[in-house]
Amino acid sequence: MQITVGVADMQVTNNPQAVLVTHSLGSCMGVAVYDPQVRVGGILHYMLPEASLDGNKSTEKPLMFADTGIPLLFKECYRYGAVKSRMIVKIAGGSQIMDSGCFFNIGKRNYAALRKIFLRNNVLIKNEDIGGFSPRTLYLQISTGKVWVKITGEGEKLL
Amino acid sequence: MMKIDIAHILPDIKSLPPFPEVTQKVITTLDDPEVGIQELVEIVQYDPNLTANILKMSNSAYFGFPREVHSLNQALLYLGTQNLFKIIIASGATRLYGRCCNGYILDQGELWRHSVSTAVMASVISRWLGVPDGALLFTAALLHDIGKLVLDYYVHDAFTEIMALVKEGNYAFQEAERAVIGIDHAAVGGEIARQWNFPDKIRLAIAYHHLESPEALKNDLALLVYLADLLVIILGANLGVDGLAYRGHPWVMKHFGLRVRHLEQLLALFWPEMQKAQEFFNLDFRV
Repeated sequence: MQITVGVADMQVTNNPQAVLVTHSLGSCMGVAVYDPQVRVGGILHYMLPEASLDGNKSTEKPLMFADTGIPLLFKECYRYGAVKSRMIVKIAGGSQIMDSGCFFNIGKRNYAALRKIFLRNNVLIKNEDIGGFSPRTLYLQISTGKVWVKITGEGEKLL
Repeated sequence: MMKIDIAHILPDIKSLPPFPEVTQKVITTLDDPEVGIQELVEIVQYDPNLTANILKMSNSAYFGFPREVHSLNQALLYLGTQNLFKIIIASGATRLYGRCCNGYILDQGELWRHSVSTAVMASVISRWLGVPDGALLFTAALLHDIGKLVLDYYVHDAFTEIMALVKEGNYAFQEAERAVIGIDHAAVGGEIARQWNFPDKIRLAIAYHHLESPEALKNDLALLVYLADLLVIILGANLGVDGLAYRGHPWVMKHFGLRVRHLEQLLALFWPEMQKAQEFFNLDFRV
């Protein structure tokens, strides 16, 4: 059973039948977390680095931003019995257009924001598929914790 | 692959499903300040399909009118000429875009979704900049990738060569199209607009939407379509194999006085607008 995670959205589940999937990761980031002991996993698909960009949006749409969305993803997993030290983190996204300056580098800024948050909170990234010109689709299988990405025209890749 | 030119592609343009006659007629009047709501009503009132679409869109979250709209007259009163233009043109265009593009690896409906997204983004940008958010910009944004419908077949055949240039040669996708096929999807789109007698402003905005001509730099409509398209591409939804392989031109940012933070604000504004625009994907396209 596939559960789709929309843009500026997240899904967390311990349903062993579920495969979480999020499409259309361009400059956006997909964060897949999984606790193999209690078999709880979640995906967050955020669009932008910082909620301070727009005071209203951060309360209305906290999942739109890295700094408000990532804590919510972890907290939701804890509700299902996940423990931070056991959680495996894999990420994908942060694609870029061809940019000679730093005028359009939202993908890079999204990635940098996540690194900063994880560094501050001692979270390690187990594996990642970042950057480039291609949009990605990210999958997380709850029964096994398997994470993979699909790239248009290139096929699938295990993370 | 042997390179081709516009003349070679004319039969392909002729074999496209035609725009519904009503839409065709309405588009040619887009740039005519004399055309008011009464003229539009005369054109659309005998088309029950279009009337149904107008009512559907009038009651959508996108236009957000305070009361439910029951009749065509009431709808026209609320909508005004520019919004009426938008609905009529979107109704016609949805028919054109209702197929997949195997060359670009776009599933059925994805090019339409990208096109509507670009039109919605163009509205968001123009409101943010305080420039008119009219039907001319909406139409140019909605139809900017129309050339892909025709070039698709050629991209399919030249796929390996194009991708090699993009991946290893640092070519933007439309640059690779030109290098391998001899023509890019923006130029093909411009030619379609010419064949279909679109107003020059629309034709040029389509032809220049990747800013390949020096003329484009003086064309605000083309610059706005370029920026709207680019922001939608950056977001990553409904993209084909060309993905994000397009160039960001810093001087466009300078031209509009924008910084990367502003782009992020535009994306944050765009997403809820796009949620409201879902009714565009329920437009009926029988003729």
